[in-house]
Amino acid sequence: MWSNVTAAFEKAFALMGEGNTLLNEIVATTMEMSVQSSLYAMLIGVPIGALVGVARFPGRRIVVLIMRTLMGLPAVAVGILVYLLFSGTGPFGKLGLMYSVELMVIAQVILITPVVAGFTETAVAPAYDAMRDTAAGMGLNKAKIALLAVNETKYQLVATYLFAFSRSIAEVGAVQIVGGNILHKTRVMTTAIALNYNMGQFSLALALGIILMLIVLGLNVIASALQAGLKKRNG
Amino acid sequence: MVEVSVTKKYGERTVLDVDKLRFERGKVYAVMGSNGSGKSTFAGILAGVLKGDGEIIYDGKKPETGYMPQKSFAFDMSLTANMLLGQPLRGRKAIRDKARRLLADFGLGEMSKKNAKKLSGGETQKLALARLMMEEHELLILDEPTAAMDVNAVEKAEKFLKDYFVRSRPAIVIVTHSPAQARRLADEVIFLDEGRVEEKGSVAEAFGNPRSDKLKKFLSVNG
Ligand SMILES: Nc1ncnc2c1ncn2[C@@H]1O[C@H](COP(=O)(O)OP(=O)(O)O)[C@@H](O)[C@H]1O
Ligand SMILES: [Mg+2]
Repeated sequence: MWSNVTAAFEKAFALMGEGNTLLNEIVATTMEMSVQSSLYAMLIGVPIGALVGVARFPGRRIVVLIMRTLMGLPAVAVGILVYLLFSGTGPFGKLGLMYSVELMVIAQVILITPVVAGFTETAVAPAYDAMRDTAAGMGLNKAKIALLAVNETKYQLVATYLFAFSRSIAEVGAVQIVGGNILHKTRVMTTAIALNYNMGQFSLALALGIILMLIVLGLNVIASALQAGLKKRNG
Repeated sequence: MVEVSVTKKYGERTVLDVDKLRFERGKVYAVMGSNGSGKSTFAGILAGVLKGDGEIIYDGKKPETGYMPQKSFAFDMSLTANMLLGQPLRGRKAIRDKARRLLADFGLGEMSKKNAKKLSGGETQKLALARLMMEEHELLILDEPTAAMDVNAVEKAEKFLKDYFVRSRPAIVIVTHSPAQARRLADEVIFLDEGRVEEKGSVAEAFGNPRSDKLKKFLSVNG
């Protein structure tokens, strides 16, 4: 076991050191997919979460409950659903998106948006409660108050983005189904890991896993530096 | 200008029940009473951030209202940005100067670039009051606006309130625990007990010759 792990680390650094073109290509596809998925999920999920977070209407608790349930969507089920929708005979089959990075992004956006919306709602609702009377007393309008509530949660939103990105980059079930793990096209790190595992190449699979973790680590380091900078600028 | 007849219930408990309470421009009203007597509930309903049963009748159109809740809130941005919130002309020099002057007046000038979340309770309260004074109001509702301030700050805040009052002659409704503050600022006193108006009248009448035993007791304890 340990020799496998050591071998995996050696391989990981060797792969990164030698500038392996296939690895670079897979990393590039992975980043293309994860950056897009996480950004689109934020673009859709944050406004939804914020809106539910600041709205007070009968039935709100049911909406929150549904949102939180959707956070647990099984990736494989989303993969199958998107597959059925976009395969040749499906309603969106004409678009010809099967086995493309675009479709992987679509599947991941469906998977991650509820998580982003749920996290946003959980952060915004108490922030809104804490400031709503003050803001209303200043004569601010509803839209402005909602934006201010989101502003109160900006650090949580950074954390939410990191989670969205990490979830996207580490996800395998949905992208395997709709992407097909096609070499030079839709192969990403997780599907490459799964493939190598299936072929018994444990240390190579682990090596790819290590590289994936290093990417996430790098992103987190950048994000905390940004956050620290932001805090400093905010006095 | 405005007449309030409302009740407010939480579950079975009635925490506020007032009838035909009138407020006119050019007067300062002190709302007093012990903890839980319904002062904040009343202030919130008058400000429109809390719903009660009953009606609030305005003579003519609804007045421009400013409201400072009991719990002051600082928005996650600089003090200056806090002051400029909701100012459509925030780019204008006159507006910025006004914000700077108010912060300086309240002793917050040096900190104007700091994040407002870093302020202490008393400083946050000063910011909240200064921020509200960026606008002129016809009805100004302040819920214990100086409770967290030290004596110096209270003195300053009261001076600004007086200047503000002279300038725009609004109706000011100020919730306070301090009879001394009520004497310094108010024309009229509304003394609440268990959500009802226990005594109401001019400061001189209410404090000089209180009819209600509860107000007598309140005054003897609170000075
Ligand atoms: N959201 C609420 N739910 C239940 N009871 C409340 C709520 N808000 C206030 N109360 C109760 O209503 C009464 C009046 O409260 P409040 O108006 O804040 O009193 P005061 O400002 O005079 O101290 C208190 O007994 C308080 O506990
Ligand atoms: Mg109160």
